[in-house]
Parts: sequence; structure tokens; C-alpha cells
Amino acid sequence: MIGRTIAGWLEQFLFYRESDRWISVLRIGLGLQVTCLCLALRRDWIYLLSSDARALISRDLMEAALNAQSSLIPRLGWLVRGAGGLGLSESTTLWTVWVALILAGCFLVIGFFSRIAAVVAWFLYLCVARSVGYFSYGVDNLTIIGLFYLMIVPLGDGWSLDSIVRHRSGNSQLVSFFRRILQIHMCLIYFFGGFSKLAGAGWWNGTNLWRALTVPPFHFVDPEFVLRWKLFLPAAGLVICGLEFLYPIFIWPRPTRNIWLIGICMMHLSIGLTMGMFLFAFIMIVLNIAAFAPVTGNLGAVFRRRGAGVLGSDDGA
Amino acid sequence: MLGEELGLKNPARNAVAVYLHAAGIEAGYGFFAPNVPSNYKLVFEVRYPDNHVEYELPEIGDAATAFRLESLLDRIADLTYEEMRQVMLQMLTRPVWQKHPDATAIRVVMGYTIWPSPKQFQAGQRETFDPVLAYDFDLRPANITNRKP
Repeated sequence: MIGRTIAGWLEQFLFYRESDRWISVLRIGLGLQVTCLCLALRRDWIYLLSSDARALISRDLMEAALNAQSSLIPRLGWLVRGAGGLGLSESTTLWTVWVALILAGCFLVIGFFSRIAAVVAWFLYLCVARSVGYFSYGVDNLTIIGLFYLMIVPLGDGWSLDSIVRHRSGNSQLVSFFRRILQIHMCLIYFFGGFSKLAGAGWWNGTNLWRALTVPPFHFVDPEFVLRWKLFLPAAGLVICGLEFLYPIFIWPRPTRNIWLIGICMMHLSIGLTMGMFLFAFIMIVLNIAAFAPVTGNLGAVFRRRGAGVLGSDDGA
Repeated sequence: MLGEELGLKNPARNAVAVYLHAAGIEAGYGFFAPNVPSNYKLVFEVRYPDNHVEYELPEIGDAATAFRLESLLDRIADLTYEEMRQVMLQMLTRPVWQKHPDATAIRVVMGYTIWPSPKQFQAGQRETFDPVLAYDFDLRPANITNRKP
């Protein structure tokens, strides 16, 4: 009896009527993220990824270190060796990967061949991030998390070219399931982030916020300016901890969801603007909006109705 | 990591490792937690035959790489395998040596910056550099050696 009740509750929780607009947000956001990440690294691409004397740290060394975890983790070395068999130099292969990532990003933004673009973007970005493991930081893992979801969710969402041109739409039953998984994942990320921050004394007395805002390379704001607000630093530090630690509690109920979502997005926007971590802020905002924002609207349906000469309101489903 | 105690060729270990990496969940989520980490810095002391010394910092082309360099230095500092650290620092020295081909030796000094508290900053105190590691590299082709002072 209890088992059946739990199973029923789980079914209701995981499979419900859900708009696929969150997938549009995730797809467009990740497309922009991948494109911007590649453009931001264009001058250092070879410097970071090469295995020869032009590299800051040889890629071969980092890939050898990756073998300590598993030799099956995807890496650029596989692509370079494969392309080498076709007579392509390492440099050509690395730039081909760069172009392919940007193309995949652009295809994701417009939603054309979304599935192929998502798989290509995920695989190539994973290869890049793992091959330069010593250089990677949070933004890489969060981008991979997003791309992994994007690769497995039902694509062909209403805002994609795929749905307009090819009249494709995803499996609606799975749309809610994957959104729930992403929501739970976001809760875990913030809970553990907030919990471990609370263990640091520096978040209680404002020291950590002071350091985060003024220590290079995060010093986008003049320390003198931060100093003017020093009395607010302990409170701001605790607000950050609270927003993260209590996220799994206040993001679910409808009355507090939007408040918490706006709060957490404002926090990431502030991190982007004051610490220069624009792409880190962007991916976090994209993941949050995709997971919890009440996004509706179906461009594909609107186009199709207009094409069929039907004027109707958007049902958002 | 899950399954880390298993052998390198163990299929379960490999499957878990590949899945965790593929899904981007192999690392924890403690960004800037429990505290903002130490800020490591690398300084190259470039020595010339006439004994004059010039100082260089690692060069990067894109602002986005600055965050990656920060991660790299954190990881180099955390390395427990000394030889690996030496090889990585030697690699980081190579572009500096290429820029200063007449130099006789390059000393790499790695340390962390001690950042003043708001009160200390207000009193005029600024960041100080606390060296923790130093290596001498002679990168001339006939004489590639290194020495840890």
C-alpha cells in the first residue's frame, strides 16, 4: 500500500505535463556558452592544447595524468592521432576542433540538427576540458553537465529550427522527467556548495567576500570601492551561503520559487560583473532558468499555425 | 573518486570514471568553499651572463586564460609527486627562456600572495609575496639541468 503510494507520488512528480521551453533555454544558452568559451580562448587555443614546444604545459603530460583515472576518458589525443593518420597536423586538428565547436554552438543556438550538434559539442568540449585538466575550472564542468543533459533530453523543442522546418518535436513524457533530474541536480550543487561555504569562517565575517572581490585575477572592482562597503561584507557573505544552502528548500514551493530564482541569478550576475567570471555566471544562470523558471511559449507552434492559416493563441504546451 | 581503490584496468573502475567525467560530475561543488583558496603566483628570475636579473610573469593571450592559469598553479602547488611538479614548472619556463635566449639560467619562484584584510588594506598594507618553492633551470640546449635550491 505504502509502496504503491510512493510509486504513484513518484510518477506524478517525475512525469507531468511540462512545456519544452526549458529545453529551448538550455539549448540556446549552451550554444552561446560553447561559442563564447571558444572565442574567449582563440588566442591561447594552441598555447593551451598543443603537445609540442608551443604549449604552456604539454597536452601529452596532462593526458598521461588523466590515465591515472582511466585511459578511456575522451581526450584530444585520440582526435589528433586519428587525424594524423589522415595526414593532418596537430595544429590543423586543434583548429578544426575549435571551428567544429563554434559551428556546433551556432547550430544549437538556432536549433538546427540539434541532436547532432549537442552530441558533437558535448564530445569535443569534453575532450578539450579533459585534455587540459590542469587548466580547467568550474565553468568547464558545469558546461559539460549542461551539454550532457542537452544530449539526452528530447530535442526538437518549439523554439528550434528543427521543429519549424522539419516538424519534429520531442517526446513530451520525458520532458518533465529530465527537467526534474536537472532540478534535483541543481539542488545538490547548491546544497553542497552552500554547506561547505558555511564551514569556512571567512564567509561569516566577510573575509572571503573581500578576498574573492579583490584578489587577482578576480579583481574587477577597485578594492577602495569594496572597502567602502566593508560593513556589509559579513551580511553579504551570509546571504550567499543562505541562498545556496537553502536553495533545495525554497526553490520548490511556488510562493518562494521566483524570489529564490531571482536571488540566485542576481548572485551569479554579481559574480560575473564584479569578478569577471562572465561565462561562469552565464552558465549558472542558464542552468537555473532551464531548471526552475516558468518558461512558456511555442514559436514552432505559432509558425505552423500561421503556415496553416490558423490564428490561435499559444498554448505553451 | 568512486572505485578509485580498484585496479587501473578494472572495468567497473573505468566505467565509473568515464561516466563521471562524461557527465561532468567527477568533481565536487565547493566553489570558493570552505574558504577562498590561496592565490598562487609564479615569478621567473631571468639571469644574464653579466649577473643582472630580470623578472617575468607567465604570459597569456586571453583574459579568460587568467582563470585557467590560476587553476593550474593551484594544482601544481597541490601536487604530491615532486617530479611531476618539476616537469610542469620546467615547461612553464620554456617560453620565458625562448623570450630571453641570452639568459644563462632561470629561477622559477612559486609562492602565494598574502592579501591584507580590509582593516590592513585601509592602513595602507598591500599584498605580499610569500615564496614556497624555487627551482633553477638552465635551459641552454647543451646543459638542460634543474636544481631545487
